[in-house]
Formats: sequence, C-alpha cells, structure tokens
Amino acid sequence: MSVRKTTLLALFTTLSLAIFAAESAIPPLVPIPGIKLGLANIVTLILLRQFSARDALVVLVSRILLSAFLFGQALSLLYSLTGGLCSLCVMAVVMKVLQKKLIFLTGAMGGLTHNLGQLAVAFAITRTAGVAAYLPFLILSGIVTGLFTGLCAGFAGRLLPPLPPDTV
Amino acid sequence: MKKNTACQKPAIAIAAFLLLLSAASLFFLLAEKEETSCAADIFQNGILIRTILLDDIHEPDTFTVEGENGCVNEIEVRPGSIAIISADCPDKLCVHQGFISDSRLPITCLPNRLVIRLRPVSDSPGNAAAPDAVTY
Repeated sequence: MSVRKTTLLALFTTLSLAIFAAESAIPPLVPIPGIKLGLANIVTLILLRQFSARDALVVLVSRILLSAFLFGQALSLLYSLTGGLCSLCVMAVVMKVLQKKLIFLTGAMGGLTHNLGQLAVAFAITRTAGVAAYLPFLILSGIVTGLFTGLCAGFAGRLLPPLPPDTV
Repeated sequence: MKKNTACQKPAIAIAAFLLLLSAASLFFLLAEKEETSCAADIFQNGILIRTILLDDIHEPDTFTVEGENGCVNEIEVRPGSIAIISADCPDKLCVHQGFISDSRLPITCLPNRLVIRLRPVSDSPGNAAAPDAVTY
C-alpha cells in the first residue's frame, strides 16, 4: 500500500468519524432503538466505488473501533460491527452486480442488511422473540435511510476528482 | 444517470425486491389489531420476570426493576397500558416510547436488556414466541 493511499484512507476514516460524531449529536427522531440515518455509510459507499471492498473494510472497522473508544459503550460496538460488516458484504456484491451504477440501490441494500444484522444481535442479547416486532420498522427505515445515504454518495462521488494512478 | 443494459436487469430485480419488502413491512405496520385485554410480560435477559394483567389494574402504580449491573428501570402501569417512566440507560429510548396499549411494538431497553411486551390474555407467556414467528 503506497503512502499516498494509506494517507487517503486515514483521511476517509477521519471524515467518517467526524460524520458519525456529528450524527450522534442529532437527537433520535423515533423512539425505536436501531433507527438512525447512518450517514457514515456515505463514506463506505464512496470507498467501495472508488477503491475496493478491502479498503472500505479497513476504513469501516477503524471507524467503528475508534467511535466505540471515543463515544460508545461496549454493547454498541457489537451492534455497529455486526451491522457494518453485514452491510459491507452485501454492498460489495451489489455494487459489483450493478457495475458501480445506480449507487442508491446499493445503499438501500446496505441499510437493509445493516438493520437486519443489528436485529440479529438484539435477538442474541435479549433472547426474546419479541424483538421480531421491530422487523418491519427496521426494514423500512433501513431501506429509506440507505436510499438517502446512497443518493448522497452518488452526488458526492460525482464531485470527487479522479484518483491518482498509484492509489488504485 | 445513464442506463446501461448490462446492469438493468439486476437493478430492476433489486428495486423490485426492496419495494416488495417495504410494501410487506408497511402492510404489517398498518394492519389493524383487534382490541383485546392485554397482559404485560416483562422479560429481563430473555427470562420472564413478571406478568401483569392490565385489566386488573385500576389505580396507576409504579415499581422498579433492577438489572444485574445495577441498572434500574422504573415502570408505571395504568389501566390498559404500561410504560417505562425512567431509566438509567444513556439514550432513554424506552422512556420516550411512552405508554403502550397493544401488542404491536414491545418496549425494549437494550442497555438494560429489558423487554416489556403485551399479549392478548388468551395466549400463555410460554407460547408468546410461536405466533410471533408466524406473524412477522
């Protein structure tokens, strides 16, 4: 990995951490655990498109670990890690299938799988089948917020300059 | 965005999948539930610790539930409804949810691993999980 790329990825990690911090300052809009905008997903989407799944993974895991150290509790780490990894896997596949086009669909799939992953963790932790009642809420919110972050990533990606050759 | 024929089919498939899933979720959310008298089951770490027949409540009453880490949730029952009115968890989502009076959405305090769900009194708490898996 070139110095240039390492620096760029570090920059993206900082950016996603800042977005994450700004978002956590917004009070929750709905009284349902697990529903939030997930703006940091914009960075993951951009990385998936401009770089590779591996680079997106590096930035995602760094961001989640750092945010847990800075703001979080141990429990929220488990949720974001599971949700983040689930959605990254699915987004990487969908991005490939759609040939990096229509990025908002990738975002929606990512938001959906992120919430499903989190619900699975909630089920494992509370061991209550009742958390399944959240499923329709989480499906809807995952798709809607995913569409939104996907659109953001689409617009932001158009403004980004093409990458220097030694970073790809 | 320019359409590309090679990615059009999967794109339509994905969009259709997402639409279908949203429609199904909306259907479940908007589906009317019959009004029945409810019992509130309070679960901690997945274990049923208390059941309250909401029909037997005539005066508002509060009590506290303590968790293994010393976390505390204060619960208020009223005739026909129940709420967590204070909690020592950081986000207080369970408190903001307010009073619930139907089985649609349980109150969950994830940090304190506390779940309150209502069920129609005809069901027993043991098989509360079974119809859930079918419905959702």
